[in-house]
Amino acid sequence: MKPTTKAWFTQQVICHQTSLFRTARAILSSDEDAEDAVQEAILSAYTRLDTLRDPEKFKPWLLRILVNQCYTLRRQEKPTVDLTEVADILPAETRDTAESLTLRQAVEQLPQDLQAPITLFYYEDLTIRQIARVLSLSEPAVKTRLSRGRDRLRRLMT
Amino acid sequence: MNDQEFDKAMRERARTEDFRLPEDYPGRVFAACASLKETTGRVRKKRSLTHWAAGVAAALAVFVAVPNLSAGAAAFLEDLPLLGPVVEVITFRHYTYDDGHGQADVETPRIQAAGNAAAAVNADVQAYVDRLTEQFQADCATLGESYESLDVTYSVVTDTEDWFTLRVDAVETMASGYQFSRFYNIDKAADAVVPLEELFRPDSGWAEALTEEVLRQMTEQEDPENGVTYFPEEFTGIDTGRNYYFDGNGGLVLVFDEYEIAPGSMGMPEFTIGRSVYEPFLK
Repeated sequence: MKPTTKAWFTQQVICHQTSLFRTARAILSSDEDAEDAVQEAILSAYTRLDTLRDPEKFKPWLLRILVNQCYTLRRQEKPTVDLTEVADILPAETRDTAESLTLRQAVEQLPQDLQAPITLFYYEDLTIRQIARVLSLSEPAVKTRLSRGRDRLRRLMT
Repeated sequence: MNDQEFDKAMRERARTEDFRLPEDYPGRVFAACASLKETTGRVRKKRSLTHWAAGVAAALAVFVAVPNLSAGAAAFLEDLPLLGPVVEVITFRHYTYDDGHGQADVETPRIQAAGNAAAAVNADVQAYVDRLTEQFQADCATLGESYESLDVTYSVVTDTEDWFTLRVDAVETMASGYQFSRFYNIDKAADAVVPLEELFRPDSGWAEALTEEVLRQMTEQEDPENGVTYFPEEFTGIDTGRNYYFDGNGGLVLVFDEYEIAPGSMGMPEFTIGRSVYEPFLK
């Protein structure tokens, strides 16, 4: 299948649809916004398919377009307080110590700036360089966020 | 548990734990893909081109619709010279836009010469720049007050007795900037556009030789302390349609888009392939 046809593009999008939603959800605060962002990214990506040099790099290429879309939507969201940043002030939630968080639950409790790098690193298996490109961050910034995210996950999941 | 072990454990959990998608999500993805148009890839919004471009587009359609027109007849028809030692390139259209959020400064070049190669390049360049512009306009309509910009410029890289190279550069900015280019190479004597693969004998191993040379140079130049670093794992080999031009010493310069094989700080990396490397494979 020629990698510039609608059929090929559709096949690729459906193959990566879970990754797309996971990444969008790591940046945006609701399922609905994440779905909107994915939908817009699909439409936008198709029109710039000629910027995809290597069909093998479809996933990181599309993720980058998606992340830009998410940033745009996030700027339009109403500001919310990031509860993880005020965890020291709020009374601690009581949790049955027998329960353990799933990875997804733990990631959702991370500060917003850590969720996307952690998601791309653990779920999408991207390298630090790829994450830097997708999120438009420097590699040192990605490493710092992964390190912070890892520390928080250790505390949440033990 | 050290970091490496923790990462491995987390990746395993990511792979095995159930990640439920919203119920309507797959349907929305499918519907979005189904709505795409086969040829252009999107529903065209009604944006009027300038009257200038519309008129010239009609003229180009006539010209390109007669591909077997001889170069001599075409020159007579257009009263233009064939590609000679010096090629004139004009700014065919200059589109600017600024609404405080979206900004565009787009120059579309046109080679002022007759012949099939010039016609083919002009048609391709116009279609390419039109697509970039229309996408920018569509993005402005949907992104509202978010900042976005598009800049398109061009330059003549090479213009000798035998060879002409036109470069079209684009920078799209939305959250971050992204720079990419297209190079159009014309063999004047043959009146033909020459993509990279057309320089070489098929199945001669030219792609492997160029790939090896690029990898060698990446390794040689790597110097992270001074900001020189590449993504060799992102480089899957020299492909057809790779941007290139010839420098003044006969070196074959291969050009990569920003972020393609290196971080954005490296801009658009170029690798010069010496004659001794590529000449054995030429047609």
